[in-house]
Amino acid sequence: MKKIFQPFATVNKQTVMTMVAVQVVITLLLWHTMSAGLIPKPAKVASAFVQLLGSKLLLDNILVSLLLTLKAMLYSILITLLFAYLSVLPFFRSVALFIVKCRYLTLTGLIFIFTLLTKDGSELKLSLLVFGIVPFFVTSFLSVIVNINPQEYELCKTLGYNNWQTLYEVIIIGKADQVFEILRQNFAISWLMITMVEGLSMSEGGIGTLLIKYNKYNDLTNVLALQLVIFVIGLCFDYLLGTMRHWLFPYSKLKEVKAS
Amino acid sequence: MTQHTKEEVLLQATDVQLTFDRSILRDINFCIRNITRPGVLQGQVVTLIGRSGIGKTQLFKILSGLQSPTSGQVTINNNKPVKAGDMGVIFQNYYLFEWRTVHQSLMLAAKKNKALFGREKQTIEQYAEQFQLTGHLNLYPQQLSGGQRQRVSIMQQLLKGSNFILLDEPFSGLDVCMLDKAVEMLLQVSLSDELKTLIIVSHDIENSVAISDTVYILGNEPGKEGATIKKEIDLIERDLAWQKHIKQERRFMETIEEIKACL
Repeated sequence: MKKIFQPFATVNKQTVMTMVAVQVVITLLLWHTMSAGLIPKPAKVASAFVQLLGSKLLLDNILVSLLLTLKAMLYSILITLLFAYLSVLPFFRSVALFIVKCRYLTLTGLIFIFTLLTKDGSELKLSLLVFGIVPFFVTSFLSVIVNINPQEYELCKTLGYNNWQTLYEVIIIGKADQVFEILRQNFAISWLMITMVEGLSMSEGGIGTLLIKYNKYNDLTNVLALQLVIFVIGLCFDYLLGTMRHWLFPYSKLKEVKAS
Repeated sequence: MTQHTKEEVLLQATDVQLTFDRSILRDINFCIRNITRPGVLQGQVVTLIGRSGIGKTQLFKILSGLQSPTSGQVTINNNKPVKAGDMGVIFQNYYLFEWRTVHQSLMLAAKKNKALFGREKQTIEQYAEQFQLTGHLNLYPQQLSGGQRQRVSIMQQLLKGSNFILLDEPFSGLDVCMLDKAVEMLLQVSLSDELKTLIIVSHDIENSVAISDTVYILGNEPGKEGATIKKEIDLIERDLAWQKHIKQERRFMETIEEIKACL
């Protein structure tokens, strides 16, 4: 018991589970006792959550949003890899660095330009998402490249590799597992943007559209239930990407075990 | 003194200087010759000894071609300036690609050796057996112990086919049992080919000297900035080379004391 309040103390799995369960119960109790008036109580949200899960409406909208997010992430990672790999060539370094700085551009200010450049709502949503995600992906991947252990390059040199072979071995092959880690870490960003982007073209539906509709009618119970759905899907993806990374690149798991 | 002949120059360091914001190395001159012994297949083992922080690792990098000297040059094989990839290099922490299994890492090195063309797999298996790593070929570096990593590093550089093997502090961090094994392994490597040349850069005087034929002491001279070769000790002349139990000999201990006094 004392241990859980000690700095850097390691606790066993059972203690962690108990601790988390207690924390969840405390949060729910606080929520239950402090919510009054407009804010719905946890039981009400839970019942709306169960109801939502059983509805076709939610499933259809989730599929629309997931498809759009996955498409955007696929395009984004391809663009990211291209620019990240090219960033080791001096000519493209400035381009990659510019993309990193594009994190500070707001999507709202660019909607009009993107509307002019795209054919329909679906294309508009996809391009806005890709434009929003890529700078975050590139930032993460560039930091992976910058933090490469110099001994990785030195070992390549001692094996007689030229610079292209070194790029292939150390960055393309050696950091392939990091692509999944970047996807996992930045999935939240794309998930965050989806609600905003889907609000632009509501005819195709999606979780974002559903959320906007519930907000519009002040249906706070369903808003919170939907947030819970979004949260759970996020957690599932986080787990899925982590598992895929460990399955495809077994050494990534060994690294984590050693680090912990 | 054991009968031997010093023949052609294998490696020559001439007036090597290294300066960053201050002088690190200056006037480094030494030469490694092919030593032959009648009836014995024997390579060369040279040790560069110096205190911590004296510039040993920098000299190690210059010798391996990973770092260009400010002036001067290191040449190998008939006056050819050394470049990265010419030497087999074993780093202090036995670095290996974490994303490659032992077999894959060894294959990368074997593929670079034209002499092994078509026989890479068999050669890896032979080496693995020799170095007691057969059961570890499908493991990742994270799954290996320090000693196993060291053996894989050495195997990797041997498979690459270079006659020169540079070792940076090969004995640091090894327990007594592993230390003996490491010494034995290095001797085994040095005896594998006439031209095989091991260059050990270390501050572990006793273990390095025990397996060497020549010792160079790297140190500072009063009033001069930057380390240089202060002394060369020919262990063959002193009849201290190539003897298994030399560490127990009194004259060996005296040489160790002489080296310590010089540092």
